[in-house]
Amino acid sequence: MITLSDIPARGGTPFTLPMALFVAILATAPFWLQWVGLYQYLGVEIAIWILFAMGFNLLFGYTGLHSFGHGAYLGIGAYGFGLFQHGVAVSLWGGLLAAILAATVAGAIVGAFLSHRRGIYYALLTIGFGQVFWFTAMKLHWLTGGEDGLLNIPRPDLVIGPWRVNLNDNAAFYWFVAGITAVAVVLMWRVVNAPVGRILQAIRQNETRARFVGYDVWRWKWLAFTVSAAFAGLAGGLFAMAQQSAYPDVMSLHQSGVIVMMVLVGGGLVSFWGPVLGVILYFIARDVLGGLTEAWLLWYGLIFVVMVMVRPEGLAGLIHTMARRAPPAVAPAAKPETV
Amino acid sequence: MTSLVPHVVNGLTLGLLFALIALGFTLIVGVMEVINLAHGSLFTLGAYLALSTIGAGWFSGTPFGIWWLDLPMASRYFIGLALGPVLAGAAGMLLELCLRPTYGKAPLYGLLLTFGAAIVVEEAIRLIWGTGEQNMPVPQMISGAFLMGGLIFSTYKFYAAGFAIVAILMVWLFLERTPYGAIIKAGAHDSEMVRALGYDLARLRLIVFGFGSALAGIAGMVMAPIWGLRPHLGIDVVIPAFLIIVIGGVGSFWGAVAAALLVGMATGITGAYAPAWSLMSMYILLIAIVGFRARGLLGRRSALEN
Repeated sequence: MITLSDIPARGGTPFTLPMALFVAILATAPFWLQWVGLYQYLGVEIAIWILFAMGFNLLFGYTGLHSFGHGAYLGIGAYGFGLFQHGVAVSLWGGLLAAILAATVAGAIVGAFLSHRRGIYYALLTIGFGQVFWFTAMKLHWLTGGEDGLLNIPRPDLVIGPWRVNLNDNAAFYWFVAGITAVAVVLMWRVVNAPVGRILQAIRQNETRARFVGYDVWRWKWLAFTVSAAFAGLAGGLFAMAQQSAYPDVMSLHQSGVIVMMVLVGGGLVSFWGPVLGVILYFIARDVLGGLTEAWLLWYGLIFVVMVMVRPEGLAGLIHTMARRAPPAVAPAAKPETV
Repeated sequence: MTSLVPHVVNGLTLGLLFALIALGFTLIVGVMEVINLAHGSLFTLGAYLALSTIGAGWFSGTPFGIWWLDLPMASRYFIGLALGPVLAGAAGMLLELCLRPTYGKAPLYGLLLTFGAAIVVEEAIRLIWGTGEQNMPVPQMISGAFLMGGLIFSTYKFYAAGFAIVAILMVWLFLERTPYGAIIKAGAHDSEMVRALGYDLARLRLIVFGFGSALAGIAGMVMAPIWGLRPHLGIDVVIPAFLIIVIGGVGSFWGAVAAALLVGMATGITGAYAPAWSLMSMYILLIAIVGFRARGLLGRRSALEN
């Protein structure tokens, strides 16, 4: 089986061919989404979940820490945005900053509890904390609105200098979300290909050895969790804007499991681009399978189960293996001549 | 203080029922080091299958169904109690066959595969039995309620708790006092040596998984009249089971039972003061205990930590 480290990291410029392709697809989506039979809002959803999945994969794929309660931080971000709009001021950047801040603080506190743990105990504690947040969101009626959530969250206008863009326009909102996602993905590319990314991967491969080499493993694990929660918080803030509401459902164990499924199916364990592929595949499966049958999740679940059984490196791993298999097909033929 | 008594009694019965739910789960974790997230779904599946057995299910309307419904409730109930778990056990065996490619890899894959399986089973239940909540009938002789110290208790809950005690003791006796139990425990301890001694480990795992799933089915059948039956019951069930294992310590039988009682008591007593938050107490308990004792109350070192 191949792992993330088999796909070599490149320092320097993040402007590689896949990145160019990704940005191009993200930038042109509104022009062809309807043409291929999809709809504008799907683009918004996909961009938000790519942002979430990217942050999640820093923890899941790169650091090898399996969080099954990550939906909580998305939810906290959404509530952060909503409560800021309702309670403090109607402000776009203020709301998004509040979303990031709320999720970061929650992530930092939870990360401090988690970072001494390893393996399955780590995963179990993330479930425990995730459930605590979910349950709190359900029960704290005066703050979160309980099961219905916060409603009527406004989408403030985007103001850049003299321009004022009304984000209630779906196309404008898509560009806004896509822009933030693109920036975040470039940022994430820089993080995982910097020395930090190498340290996190070392922790995944062998935590004990990383500690003996002299890294303060606890601090790096804590940092990975906190940064991952911050990305989730930003995604949550955008999600609250998209839905114009914030509700506890996204924080449930079910939703937290779905993000794990997306990232794994896409190939987050072996590739930087795995989460992107996974998110796109999930939403297209939801819309295409969902259009054919009520029980689309049954089929998606079956695909997932088969994938874990036969190809746990996911879609990105499949593409990588196929790309690598192609050149050696020529090489053995050339070999006899040289011998 | 007297007002606390019913809550303590409630908590204890709840704890015993939690122990029953966690029984099959701890068996599979202990022997195979697989966290079976589909446990809750198998629990629900067992209960639904039993429900269909009691109510003639797909045969309703046929001569067989009419003859079947003429039988006394109690006999149909006990046939359901046997058949539901057996079928849940068969589903568990199928799941074990799917799990085989993940053995020897990181425990994450087993966790993910069973999570996928949980979703598949849940969706299948939704498809077959519909999304609405259903009621599990109970024979006359164990239903009803009684008064004790001026408070009303449900008779069925006490029968269920008694059943849980019997089931826990029987599983314990099976593990400790029979040669099969010895082989299963040896397989958990040193699988290579067990294989070298000539035991078919693959078959052993299949049987253990089937047995654990059947226990889930039994628990589902017993719990259904108390909690009601809905397709997404699985996730409400697997979480306590799983908290109990972590609090008790992975691989420890009595640790799990003690943890179950503890969780039940915590839920029951919180219920006395803040009913809305009673389910929260188990998560707080988890964080408090695992925060200080990494391997839970009675846990030992496990491959799952790597």
